[in-house]
Order: sequence, then C-alpha cells, then structure tokens
Amino acid sequence: MLAVDNLSIIYNNNKVLDGFNLTLEQGEIFALLGDSGSGKSSALRFIAGLDSTDSGSIQLDGQQLSNHGKHQVSPEARGIGMVFQDYALFPHMTVEKNIAFGISKQPRIKQKKRIKELLTLIGLEGIERKYPHQLSGGEQQRVALARALAPSPKLLLLDEPFSSLDKNHRVQLVAQVRDILKQTNTTSILVTHNVSEANTLADKVGKILNKRLTIK
Amino acid sequence: MMGLLALVVAMPIIAVMLSWLLPEHELWTHFSENLLSSLIGSTAILLLGVGIGVTLLGTVLAYLVVMVEFPGRKWLEWALFLPFAIPAYVLAFVYLGVFDYSGYAQVWMREALGLPGFDIRAGSWAIILTFVLVFYPYVYMMTRASFKRQKINLIEAGKLLGAGPFKVFFKISLPLARPAVAAGLLVTLMETLADFGVVSLFNYDTFTTAIYSAWGDFRSIEVAAQLASLLVLVAFFLIYFEKRARGQAKYYSANVSNIRPYHPKGSVGWLITLFVFGIFMLSFAMPMLQLSIWAWGAFADEWSDNYIDLLISTSSLTIIAAMITVIIATTLALPGRCKRGSIWLKGMVRLATLGYALPGSVMAVGLLYGINQISVVNVYFGGESINHIIYGSIFLLLFAYVSRFMAIAYSSIDASAQQIKPVFTQTARLLGASRMRLIWQVYLPMMMPGILAGGLLVAVDVMKELPATYLLRPFGWDTLAIQTFELSAEGLFERAAVPALMMVAFGALIMMVFRYLDKKSYKAS
Repeated sequence: MLAVDNLSIIYNNNKVLDGFNLTLEQGEIFALLGDSGSGKSSALRFIAGLDSTDSGSIQLDGQQLSNHGKHQVSPEARGIGMVFQDYALFPHMTVEKNIAFGISKQPRIKQKKRIKELLTLIGLEGIERKYPHQLSGGEQQRVALARALAPSPKLLLLDEPFSSLDKNHRVQLVAQVRDILKQTNTTSILVTHNVSEANTLADKVGKILNKRLTIK
Repeated sequence: MMGLLALVVAMPIIAVMLSWLLPEHELWTHFSENLLSSLIGSTAILLLGVGIGVTLLGTVLAYLVVMVEFPGRKWLEWALFLPFAIPAYVLAFVYLGVFDYSGYAQVWMREALGLPGFDIRAGSWAIILTFVLVFYPYVYMMTRASFKRQKINLIEAGKLLGAGPFKVFFKISLPLARPAVAAGLLVTLMETLADFGVVSLFNYDTFTTAIYSAWGDFRSIEVAAQLASLLVLVAFFLIYFEKRARGQAKYYSANVSNIRPYHPKGSVGWLITLFVFGIFMLSFAMPMLQLSIWAWGAFADEWSDNYIDLLISTSSLTIIAAMITVIIATTLALPGRCKRGSIWLKGMVRLATLGYALPGSVMAVGLLYGINQISVVNVYFGGESINHIIYGSIFLLLFAYVSRFMAIAYSSIDASAQQIKPVFTQTARLLGASRMRLIWQVYLPMMMPGILAGGLLVAVDVMKELPATYLLRPFGWDTLAIQTFELSAEGLFERAAVPALMMVAFGALIMMVFRYLDKKSYKAS
C-alpha cells in the first residue's frame, strides 16, 4: 500500500502543488492529470526519490521512504520502477541486457526465465538480441515497461509514457499496458495530460486544479 | 578527489605563474633589457603574418569547396585535410631542403636562369609562408564545417536580391562563419606560439626559443619560467580575443544542404581547380614525394638498430601517455552528482584543460621549475636533492604530455558525456544500480566513442611532440620526433626523411587502429 502525505512542489519560489495526499491499495492504478507546470511530474520524481522538496512524506508497504520532504531511502533501494517519456533504454545494450539490468543479482537461469516471461507478457517474443534503435517507438516503450517490471517493483511510476507515440499506436498500447499491470498486480501511478488515456488505463483518476488534487 | 586530480594536472601552469614570487633578477634584467623588445617584435610579426595568411587561405579554400562546383572538388575537399598528418617541423625541413641556398630549387634558379641566390632565413616571409601552409587546415576545417551548416536559402535570398558571388561571400557567408574562422585562427596562433621545431630550423627568435636559451645556454630555470609565464599571458589574451570575436551570437542551423549555388563557366572552374590542387601539392603531395625520394636514397645509410630503440620508446611513450591522459580525462568528464554545482571543480577543470593553449615548452619549464623548488625545500630541511631521481625518469615527460594534451582528450570525452541524458542515470538508479555499476555499465560504454577519439588525438600528438620531449626526455629515450629534428637541424635532410616518414606511417597506423576500435564500439549503438 502506498500513502503520500502533504506533498508540496515549488518552482522558482512559487508553490504549484500544495497538500497533495494520496492512498493506493495493492494493484490499484492511479492516473494523475494536470496541465504542464502543474507539478505532476515533480510529484512523481519526489515519490521516486530523485528530487527533493520541502514537505511531503511517503510510506510504501509500511516502510517510511520520505519524511517531511527528506528522503530516508535512496532511489536505488526503494523498489520503485519508473518508465519515462523517452523510454531511456540503454542504447549500447540489447533488449535482453536492458531488461536484465535491474535483476543482475539473480542467477543467470532465473534472469533468462524472467526475460522470456516478460517478453511474452509484452507480446514481443524473440527480440532478445535486438538493439533499441532496431525497434519502433511502441516496441521500445514496451521494452522499457518490461525493464521496469523485471525486479517486480512495489510501485510503478509512468511519466507521460505514451506521449511520443502516434494516436493509433497509443490507443492500442494503453489498453495493453493496463492488461499487463493488472496481470502483474502492480500498483501504478500514471502521469499524463490526456484524459482518455487516463480513463482507459486507471482505476482512479485525479486532477490537479489550482494547486490542489481532486480525485474523481 | 576530482578537483585534486585537475589541480595536479594544472601544476605546470601554476608553477610557471608562481615563478614571479622568487624571481631571478640579474639574468632577467639582461633578458628584458637586451632581448625582450626584439622578441616581442619578432613574435608579433610572425603571429600577424601567419594569422592573416591562414585566415585568407583557409576561408577561401573552405568557401570554394563548399559553395562552388569545380572539377575534382569532391576529393580535393578531403585531400586538403591531409597536411594534418605531417608534423610542422617536417614540412619546414622539406621546404628548407628544397628552397635553401644549396637546395636544388635555388641551384637551378642560379644556374639555369642566372638569378641571384637568396637567404631563405632572412626576414620573416619564408617562415610565415611555411606556417601558413602547415596550419591552414585548422581554419579550413572549422570554416568548412560552418559554411556547410549555413542555410542555402540565406544565400539564395542574397542572390535573389542581386548580390554576386563576391558580395554573397563578404556580406553573408563570411560574417556567418566568423566564429568558426576565429576558432581556427586561435588554434593556429597558439600552435605558432608553441612551435619550437620550425622556428629553430629557420633560426627565428620567438618567446619559445628564448625560453630554451634561458634554460639551455644560461642554465636558469627561473628566467625560463618567468619568460614562460609571459607566454601564458599571451595565451590568455588570445583566448579572450577569440571569445570576443565569437560574440554572443549562435549562427548554426542544423539543416545541411548539398546544393552548390555557383557553377562557374568552363575555364574559371578549371582555374579554381588549379589553385586548390596547387595548395594541396605544395602542402602535402610534393613534401611527401620529396620525403620519399630522400628516404629511399638515405635509408641504407640511416637505418641502424638504433631505430628499434627509437620505435620502442616512441610507441611506449605514446601508449602510456595516451592511456593516462584518457583515464584522467574520463574521470573528470564522468557525469557526477557533485559536479553540477561545484564552481571550484569547474574552475579546476578549466585550469587543467588550459594546457592545450600552452606550448610544450611552458609545460616542461613549469615542471622543471616546480621540481627544482621542491628539491630546494627538501635540501633546506636537511634532505637530499631529488633532482637526479626525477630528471632521470620518464615521469616528468609523461606528466608534461598529460598536462599538455589533457584538453584535447577532455573536450572529446566530455562531449560524449554530455550526451548521456540524466534520465539514463535515473533509470539505472531506480533499477538499483550502484555508482560503480552505473559508471562501468552505463557511462563508460556510452562514452566509448568519445574516449576512443580523445585517445587517438592524444596519441597522434604525443607521437610527434617535440618541445617538451626535447627538454625532458631522459637519457636513452629519444623518439622519432627528436631524431627527425636533430638530423634536420644539422641540415641532414635526406637522412631526416627516414624517421619523418616513419612518423607519418605511425600516425596512419594509429588512425587505423582507432577506426577498427570505433567500428566495434559503434556496432552496439
């Protein structure tokens, strides 16, 4: 279970997000809507432990990750996965190596099995040896998702993951990603500015309006 | 830690500047009263002449090659880069060997044409011409790249407004290319200022030769350091000048066009070909041919087992220096958490990478001076002089190479590090990677093309480095560059051609190794 308590985001001495509270049950998918500059991506980055801010506490599965804006657990140790808008697949690694990056401590055979499993899940069997530049945008995004899911994160953050794709692919992929997240029972937060994307993917949709989060 | 590393690399520069704290008065007075004004004069004339010459030649060649269609343009565009493969002092001795009083060009002029002979070393025109032919590729290279980036519609707009080729060149193309011309000019002037080989062969006095004279003839490392510090000031001034010439403007646009606006009629095109080809012949083909002819004739006399030692010391110095430089430059360029905000670290990196603006002689003198001071302090506290240990090892020489060429490696490696977007770091961290793993599996592989390119450039430069090697090499560590220089300084041009050609071949070999490694690393990305 995730609990975010009283998170504020400040840009250039200007509070853009104030008193953000959120609770998510295991396996629940939440979509966060907001205009650009509304602090939604910053909120995500704070939850991931990448940026800090002056107020906000995070609890995940009973563990205190951040307290009053200070991070107690580093991003490396949080068990939070993230998918970025521009995929950020390592260009010098094959699909297989990319997916294995977060599970490198597991024995080889287990890694291989997990990679196969994930490729089946995202519907891209047989591309283990390909490099990211040999894949289409949609394929890259699915591989990025598989990479983030590989260590079975307690929470998955998706920062505008579909916005670099064209419309037809997007509609298809959004539905597919929802299936994947539901199958793996992964608690997730999606940040987007696209309402239909949010409605299709999420169980619960929130919107930032006038610095405040309202949940529908 | 990283700041300290940068500080160590910058030590020669700092040592030279500190020499004013413990100045040597008597000899300095002699130098400043008798020599300084003529040194400043001759150095200024040289810089001015070379500056005007390379600017004219480099920009005109670049403009012709990019904007005008003429027969043979395609391969001449690349052929004009080739003079980079020949060290300046090698070209200088070839020109001397051919055009000197006893060279066959002058002998033929006197005997066949009955013209009076002349002294090629008198005045400064010959040395200026030599430098121009050696260094024009810098201006050519940078200006050409800038012309290529200029939007074709800007030029077409100019043409539609009724501007002819000359007006387009002076009013549109040249002003747009100004930052590139300035950058090329800066490198040229720095190299001219730093040069030791060409000026020695031409018996031309500059700051660099004065530094050697202070150390070699007068055994005063203090005065050498004081003179070197003036050179540092000139270098600072040149960098400042280039920054101003570049200005605030950003002139680049990404779209590259291959359309050439000018198709000169018949004979004009051939005249342009003749001109560009002539420059190529003068600056590369004829010197290479001459070198080959000389080397062919002298090889049997010149070759001895000694050359095996020369090859071994040249290659080991090159490899070791390139590796150390690349390792330090990579460490400094790695994307880091603490790096972004630290002004101190940024300043240190700036200082450490200033080396390229500074002659090898400054590096050498800075090191000798610094070690000497340490030794003096050591003796003062009852210890032994450490001079003999240091002077007898290759440590100082390697140090000088690393300091001198740090900037080249750093700029290449840093450029590749800049392309690693923060999102890669964040992804890796969220996937639980430690800093070590991040460096080994993400940063280094992604920086590899830059690391290889930096290593290549450093290796080629170390291989042909002369001024610092000349001062700092321990006994038994002569390189091909030293051998070439010493033979040509005695006028033994035929014999000097043998090690000179070996250097050119060595450079080509480094290039091939680099291309092989580069292809391998690119396969992945």
